[in-house]
Amino acid sequence: MSEKTDNEKSTKVSASIFKKRWRKFKTLKRGYYSFIAIVVLFTLSFILPLFIGRDALIVNYNGNYHFPIFKYYSAESFGQNLQGEANYRMLKQQFKEEEKGNWVLMPVYPFGPNENLLSEMDGNPPHPPSAQHWAGTDDRGRDVFARLAYGFNIGLSFSIIVTFFAYFIGVSIGATLGFFGGRVDFFGLRLIEVWSTLPFLYVIIIISSIIQPNFILLVFILMMFGWIGISYYIRGEFYREKARDYVSAAVSMGAKNKTIIFKHVLPNSLTPVISYAPFAIVANIFSLVSLDFLGFGLPPPTPSWGQLMQQGLSNIENWWLIATPLMALFLTLLSITFIGEAIREAFDPKVYSRLR
Amino acid sequence: MTTYFLRRFLLIIPTFFGITLITFMILQFVPGGPLEMEIMKIRMGGRGNTGESGSTTGGTTQNIPQTAIDELKKFYGFDKPIHERYMIWITNLLKFDLGRSYVYGEPVWDVIKSRFPVSIYFGLIGFLLTYLICVPLGVYKAVKNGSLFDFISSALVFIGYSIPGFAFGALMLVLFGGGSFWDVFPLGGFRSEDWESMSFFGKITDQVHHTILPVASYLIGSFATLTILTKNSVIENLSQDYIRTAYSKGLSEKRVIFGHALRNSLIPIATGLGHAVSLVLAGSLLIERVFNINGIGLLGYESIVQRDYPVTMGILVISSLLLLLGNIISDMIYAFVDPRIRFK
Repeated sequence: MSEKTDNEKSTKVSASIFKKRWRKFKTLKRGYYSFIAIVVLFTLSFILPLFIGRDALIVNYNGNYHFPIFKYYSAESFGQNLQGEANYRMLKQQFKEEEKGNWVLMPVYPFGPNENLLSEMDGNPPHPPSAQHWAGTDDRGRDVFARLAYGFNIGLSFSIIVTFFAYFIGVSIGATLGFFGGRVDFFGLRLIEVWSTLPFLYVIIIISSIIQPNFILLVFILMMFGWIGISYYIRGEFYREKARDYVSAAVSMGAKNKTIIFKHVLPNSLTPVISYAPFAIVANIFSLVSLDFLGFGLPPPTPSWGQLMQQGLSNIENWWLIATPLMALFLTLLSITFIGEAIREAFDPKVYSRLR
Repeated sequence: MTTYFLRRFLLIIPTFFGITLITFMILQFVPGGPLEMEIMKIRMGGRGNTGESGSTTGGTTQNIPQTAIDELKKFYGFDKPIHERYMIWITNLLKFDLGRSYVYGEPVWDVIKSRFPVSIYFGLIGFLLTYLICVPLGVYKAVKNGSLFDFISSALVFIGYSIPGFAFGALMLVLFGGGSFWDVFPLGGFRSEDWESMSFFGKITDQVHHTILPVASYLIGSFATLTILTKNSVIENLSQDYIRTAYSKGLSEKRVIFGHALRNSLIPIATGLGHAVSLVLAGSLLIERVFNINGIGLLGYESIVQRDYPVTMGILVISSLLLLLGNIISDMIYAFVDPRIRFK
């Protein structure tokens, strides 16, 4: 089955386990390539204005270089006959016609996510996809492709942050209950039971109707409801692990609770929940999209996939409003699911041999 | 074991109080409550303006006499402090009285009950189809582990898992709802409006016609978990010693799988059955919203948006009781199908 990894001697045992798992992970092609794709895309999405955006990267005007991507320039400063900020797409056209040696370097996809394009396009929004606007425009004349790309960054960052904090809380609470047991466990469990039965969607709708939710508030709410499953799991693991001999050994050697929890039990019970993290990320992306779809998510004009789908549902003749965000969502969730599946397999020590 | 379950049943009580108390309190803090909405309505009506009321109220209420406001307060019970109101509510609850809906003017129980058929209909179909498809599929995948079929079906199941049901439903409506592509299925609703006047077969066809897309949306994401669970469970059992024994005494593959492995593999799957009690309240707000089905999800959502608190609390009471009950029933089934399990 496996390669001869067991024979390799290494002084640092934990590193070797990780290396082994990583090697196994790399052999699971579906998950490994998804992992590379997601990491690359997510990293790139932080410098998205370089590729997709309304601001020019470089403007050469009368021999001077300007970098509008970092700085605001009014239209007049480039001799453009407009109010407010310069429109670099028109500027590019203008410079070309003037032929004075001025030039503009635009991002590859020169449209911003929150930019209203009505003044530059014919007809009424939403516009269908075209060579210029790969995924058309939405009902306010904003470029859908740009919104999808920016929405990817927001959605994925959001769910990674939520997952991280939910894990932190879940592991802390689960470990406390499982380690101390007894009365702490009994009352803690009752509280968790109450908390987990609260309908989370209702609470979000109620809170959203009091205050306009923003990124941080939504992270907070989702985090407050996301830790429950993990805490149950860690609690169980702690119960199991603390009955093992190595814990008794540590106790008999006079180790403090702190040492036992953090050095002995925790590392042994964390692996399964970590391998579950990709699925938690999927679930959180899903929650954000659902909330945006219902109109209780991130405030407008934040680029969001759920909000686009909502538009798509109210204008079902404009298929791209629903098909393109669904495609983006689908590809993202599918890759992360594949990663999760591969991680689970790589972390799973069980190897089944079947006899027949 | 009986003591264990008796204790579990008794523990429902404090948990239930906790849940209702928290929700009751949260609901009190929401601005634009029923009282404000009523006052707003009167003020708007007084000015001859029947436009949509905004969410913020505030401002002056001078054009309504104080006595009228007091009367309204009394009507909604807001003249008493919150703990008294909670006590009244919970006492009524113990008399099986959930109160009256502010919006519908009917008893809350009747309002909720009227949505049961829709919930049970979709819930039951979804539940049955999931189990009927996933369990055999999972078993077959386990037996053929590593084959092309296993690979492809895994990929398909995970693809389904990556598509949110409501989004899938919306896409289906775009494709088949007659917007810009094919006009195959109705745009939503539970039945056609003239359903009552249809012939028997007409009724059935119409119902099926309205059922296919929502059920597909409900199902698409639910395959993955159960199929993979079944598959892993069967695989684990197939590698056990007793299976080796079964093979070595010369049993046919069929006997080994169906007579020995399957029975043990179904233990973790059977435990999920406990939550079938929640079927009466099944219904996803998102999918109901997409297909315009008047189910329980939509009722709960509207009750919050319209500040119809008796209904909100009523749904919460029923759903949380069913959930707590489902947990216990699941454990009971677990103990029943697996005699090795002992709850202390």
